[in-house]
Amino acid sequence: MYFFGRFLRFVSRNATQSLAPLAALLFATGGDLSGRLALVGTVALGIALAVSILAYLFFRYRITDDSILVREGVFRKRQLDIKFDRIQAINTRQNVVYRWFGVVTVTFDTAGSAQEEGSLPAIPTALADSLRKKTRRGGGRPAETSEETEANTPPPILALTNVDMVRIGLSDNRAFILLAILGPFSEQIEAAIGEYIESRGIAEGLELTLVQGMTFGVAIVAVVLATLALASIAGAFLRFHRFRLEVDDDVMRSSAGLFTRHEQSIRFAKVQTLEARQGLLLQWFRRFRLRAKQASSVQPGKEKHFAVPLCTAAQTDGIGREIFGDEFRDIDLAPTSAAFRPIHHRYLRARILIGGVLPALFTSSMCAALGIPGGVVFLAWIPLNALGVWIAWRKFGYIAAADGMVLRRGLIGYRVGAFLYRKVQRIGITQTISQRRRGLATLRFYLASGTLKLPYVDHRLATEIRDYVLYRVESGNLAWH
Amino acid sequence: MRRMFENAEIPVEGLPSAETVAWQPMDPKLMRRRLAEAGIALSIVTAGIAGLQVLLGIALVDENVPINLGFLWLVPLAVGIAVVGWPLVCVPKMAYAVRERDILYRSGVFWHTVTAVPYNRIQHVEKSTTPLDRRFQLANLKLFTAGGAGGDLTIRGLPVRTAEKLRAYILDRTGTAVEQA
Repeated sequence: MYFFGRFLRFVSRNATQSLAPLAALLFATGGDLSGRLALVGTVALGIALAVSILAYLFFRYRITDDSILVREGVFRKRQLDIKFDRIQAINTRQNVVYRWFGVVTVTFDTAGSAQEEGSLPAIPTALADSLRKKTRRGGGRPAETSEETEANTPPPILALTNVDMVRIGLSDNRAFILLAILGPFSEQIEAAIGEYIESRGIAEGLELTLVQGMTFGVAIVAVVLATLALASIAGAFLRFHRFRLEVDDDVMRSSAGLFTRHEQSIRFAKVQTLEARQGLLLQWFRRFRLRAKQASSVQPGKEKHFAVPLCTAAQTDGIGREIFGDEFRDIDLAPTSAAFRPIHHRYLRARILIGGVLPALFTSSMCAALGIPGGVVFLAWIPLNALGVWIAWRKFGYIAAADGMVLRRGLIGYRVGAFLYRKVQRIGITQTISQRRRGLATLRFYLASGTLKLPYVDHRLATEIRDYVLYRVESGNLAWH
Repeated sequence: MRRMFENAEIPVEGLPSAETVAWQPMDPKLMRRRLAEAGIALSIVTAGIAGLQVLLGIALVDENVPINLGFLWLVPLAVGIAVVGWPLVCVPKMAYAVRERDILYRSGVFWHTVTAVPYNRIQHVEKSTTPLDRRFQLANLKLFTAGGAGGDLTIRGLPVRTAEKLRAYILDRTGTAVEQA
């Protein structure tokens, strides 16, 4: 099953374009189409089954005291030697069929890898547990038995209810992103609906007033939004049903999923930044979404992270204290905290000028020069941009504590990120011409999980923070990973 | 006798400051290398425009079309001012400072940037040279830290011997940084 699914994913990702000419040939030639489709389908299924069975037969793994050895590949051989002490996290997936057989698929994350380094499909649950324990110890010692594991299962620090699933579904903006993608095609969709109504003769002899028409339009929009919201809630149930978050010694573990159970775990020492997000709806629900980011060398936005889909402010701080321990005892991730210090108001002028006034004036004057009417409309961008910049400036804030920093930013919602100074990889101070004149600077913290920016602070303060961070990084004897 | 645990307070004002370091300017050969690069780029643009004029002249020799392509020479002029002028202002702004526990790099004409990389965070060091670098006996040193999707620190145009010594020194410092997980 695992290799069959992997082969299908591989084909859909890499070979879809190559299959297009085959499909065209299939439809272009004459004769019985259904017969040809059945033939091609059978052949494709046969190839997929053969490839999957071969991949299964050639897959071998061995677990030694300090590493996991994997050997796979029919023609192109791949050998993996994953050291236990290099593993950042062990994640498991268990679908309904796997649950019947008591097996799970285990994937290993190692530092800086773009994707999961390796995976062991359909191994017994007890073996997955013992691997998890070995990883925590860096290998070497024998694993406990599954009975002991069950007996030692700690109570969850967070368990989500069905109401929480509704909250997650409603606050997930992916459904609305879909709506935004469909936006440009609204005319085509409208035309298609019109054609459908005409072809079925639904609107025959029907005369609508303006009010009725508008009500009809609003009803359609409401139905679309409700459908998207329901789909999103269903998605939340599928992915996060019975979400439990447990802390076991120095590991945080989550398990969730309606049909396929996903289990993620992360060692506290591996967390580089902890980020709490709160969009408009989450603000209304008084909840946060958390991300514990690990070391990653992939592009921003595609980083690996340990996610908690919903938690209260108190739970957010509690998780922060669990992760950072005594090093950041006074961590404060609440975006409304009074401890946040603002950045300099010169940020407003620079952003309004560069992002608002200059492009609006340029576009308007270009329209005027080329004789395009209505160019003045672009000037409306100036107050809109100014409003956005003002909101962003108000939300920028930082708490420089003794061991770590909390940075807050956002436009519609909030994004609050916390990190320990000793985990910083590089640090930079940048000054523009205008910042130099005003004695201001922008501070950049380069962490293994990404870059965090503190713009428009006093230059003297920036240098003090930089020197202090360097002192913490260079004088400490704790590893960053 | 067993040593007592110590935790002396460090005043923030007393911390070593990266502002007061003695910056090491880049080697003068870097300026010459950059100017040579600018000269090559300028020659290619000039040759391209000259070639275009010759080709058009041949193509339109029998046509009585009054086309004046003299304005095209403004392109190498503008490019020339930019590419020759840029190293003259950019290179003097570049400098580095090697300290006991970190390396600092300063750059930027309009945006002044000072980046500090502690040795105990360096994953590996890469020394690279282009044919033009080798002509001027220069080398580039790239310092890789973890999670370098945002770009690692590159010090361009170091004399080859300095780059090699620096690489060995950094690797030595990286190797001596012992940390516990």
